[in-house]
Amino acid sequence: MAQFRMNGARVLEAHLAGDAVRALTGSMVAYEGNVQFKNAGMGGGGGFKAALKRKMTGESLELMEMAGHGVVYLASEGMEVELVQLTGDTLSVESSALLAIGPNLRTDVAFAGLRGAASGQGLFTTTVSGHGELAVLSDGPMIALEVSPAYPLVVDPDAFIAHRGQLNQTFVTDVSWKSLIGEGGGEAYSLRFDGSGVVYIQPAER
Amino acid sequence: MSRFEKVNSKVVKVQLGAPVVARRGSMLAYSGQIGFTPHGVPGGMGGGMGGFGGLAGGLMQRAAGEHVSMMEAHGQGEVHYGFRGAHITLLDVAPGQQLQVEAERLLAHDSSLQTSTVFLGSGGIRQAISGAVTGQGLFTTQLSGSGSVAILSHGGTIALPVTPQSQVAVDPQAYVAALGQLSVEVAAKVGWRDAVGKGSGEAIQLKVTGQGTVYVQASERKL
Amino acid sequence: MAPTILNPSTLPSDDNVNPYAFCIELRQPWFLRKGAMIAYYGQASFEGLAQTSLSAMVAARFSSPLYAQQWVVAQGVGKVVIGDRGYDINSYDLDAGNLTIRAANLLGFETGLELKQSIVPGFLTLVGTGKFLASSNGPVIFAEPPMRVDPEALLGWADCPSPSHHYDTGWMQGFLGSMAHAVLGVQSGEERQFDFTGAGTILFQSTEVPRPDPAYLAQLESQVTGLGVPGLQRLQTVIGQRLAAEQQH
Repeated sequence: MAQFRMNGARVLEAHLAGDAVRALTGSMVAYEGNVQFKNAGMGGGGGFKAALKRKMTGESLELMEMAGHGVVYLASEGMEVELVQLTGDTLSVESSALLAIGPNLRTDVAFAGLRGAASGQGLFTTTVSGHGELAVLSDGPMIALEVSPAYPLVVDPDAFIAHRGQLNQTFVTDVSWKSLIGEGGGEAYSLRFDGSGVVYIQPAER
Repeated sequence: MSRFEKVNSKVVKVQLGAPVVARRGSMLAYSGQIGFTPHGVPGGMGGGMGGFGGLAGGLMQRAAGEHVSMMEAHGQGEVHYGFRGAHITLLDVAPGQQLQVEAERLLAHDSSLQTSTVFLGSGGIRQAISGAVTGQGLFTTQLSGSGSVAILSHGGTIALPVTPQSQVAVDPQAYVAALGQLSVEVAAKVGWRDAVGKGSGEAIQLKVTGQGTVYVQASERKL
Repeated sequence: MAPTILNPSTLPSDDNVNPYAFCIELRQPWFLRKGAMIAYYGQASFEGLAQTSLSAMVAARFSSPLYAQQWVVAQGVGKVVIGDRGYDINSYDLDAGNLTIRAANLLGFETGLELKQSIVPGFLTLVGTGKFLASSNGPVIFAEPPMRVDPEALLGWADCPSPSHHYDTGWMQGFLGSMAHAVLGVQSGEERQFDFTGAGTILFQSTEVPRPDPAYLAQLESQVTGLGVPGLQRLQTVIGQRLAAEQQH
């Protein structure tokens, strides 16, 4: 079965053993062996229906499928790569942070709540679920922050990467947040997480 | 020769023995008695241009598709080099080896190394493709002899060994350098255009064959 | 996922989470650059310098009207995580000392410190006792004078006198030989440096793509007085040429 391995902090090796792996289009930096690349569309699990949903929601995720025998080296924008194991649960992730998705995982589009109009990220988020491994991009090493009923968390949406667990996500615009928005722009709302789970952020603003 | 030492992933320190040639604007700081003078175009086309960055030399460089001017540091002391936060890879070129690197990615090297400008690709339409893809002309810089070289990348490099038994294909935008006895050729991959869907230039890839190491960066971004 | 899962009790207190992120344990007010906060736990509030209830403290500690728009006061109790473009973040402790730092790289400071504008445009000086945070493109390199630094690579300096300009000897000879006006001008660090002398510490980094600094611009604008019509016309020509050159790039 196809395997992911790290080569340093910023390059992912996808070792293909006759099967197929999906990855961010354009992220191949080198490869060895006999590998075929083809367009895998918008990364929706459910074919036409998911593609339509993506088109309507503006959530864009362009994937390619890599199949064959060999090693493909994947990277994007010099960002760090983190491997994520899923064991039947679901990861909600910014689509721009997805680098590669293992063979047995499904991707879908989910409603993420009402965001501010200024957001270019759309009102929807990408979900990945099943049993397997995926690779996520982070601008600088990823930070994992726990959320529990005792301590909710507020996050800058420009630094947000992904979350998993039983979390309730709300978009908060208050005086405090407004005063933090600089002249250079930034999102008009902050992300607040309540419940139990983990939120992943990067030490940089998108 | 001079001693090259990485201070961190983005800065290299050079203890000057013999003169060092470096990309203009890459000197961060120095101590000691050191002077900086414009250096000729790699390949010796404008060897003694001197003066103020040499207008003629500049024209030569443009004509050769190389638009990076170099400065020579000479004297006694220590110079720190870096360029816009790009990652640095230090390489040693041994006699009998060639280092091929895009002029824009060449940060600094011992002046004892011979530099020349060579074609990437092997002629005809392939050259045109290579120019269109890399966006930096049809030329690449080749260094040979013996000495140290510091090269630039976005996000750092990985080193992939190449042997006659195993060749490597590289995305032209991620290609940084090739060291050893290697030939870098432009090749179109069937099916690749389909994967990209837009014909965005990634339909083209570089095929590296021979014996040596190819350096690939973790990004598709140019410097 | 690979990274350790942190929560309010396991996040560091006033220390780095990793080289690129820092966690402030908020107990007393901090000055923070807008946009530097990436996440927080607890009861934290952020107020613009003109809106805060701590106006007397701000007036006494933040002595730079030019930069006031870009900063807030953080108050309350909680853990605040700071990040800046994926740059390295360092914290510095001043003990009745002073340090001058590039304004675009200063991310936050305790209110025991006083902020002043340096004579060198684009730099800020911190005086007093307390902690501050600054980012750098790659780890900071510390060095001692005598040393000459490319102005674009300079991050800051402490204890030593403010720098003076130094021009490369060869460059000066050529300049004098060709009588000035034919020259393209000083464009790179090889031709002109900041010269540091005396005893102290210099901080520098790899050069960076400059972050637009509206305060720096305002500072330059404020210097365009008393030039008269000929002076302003001359400036207009120079700016026109620079603009054309930049746009060509």
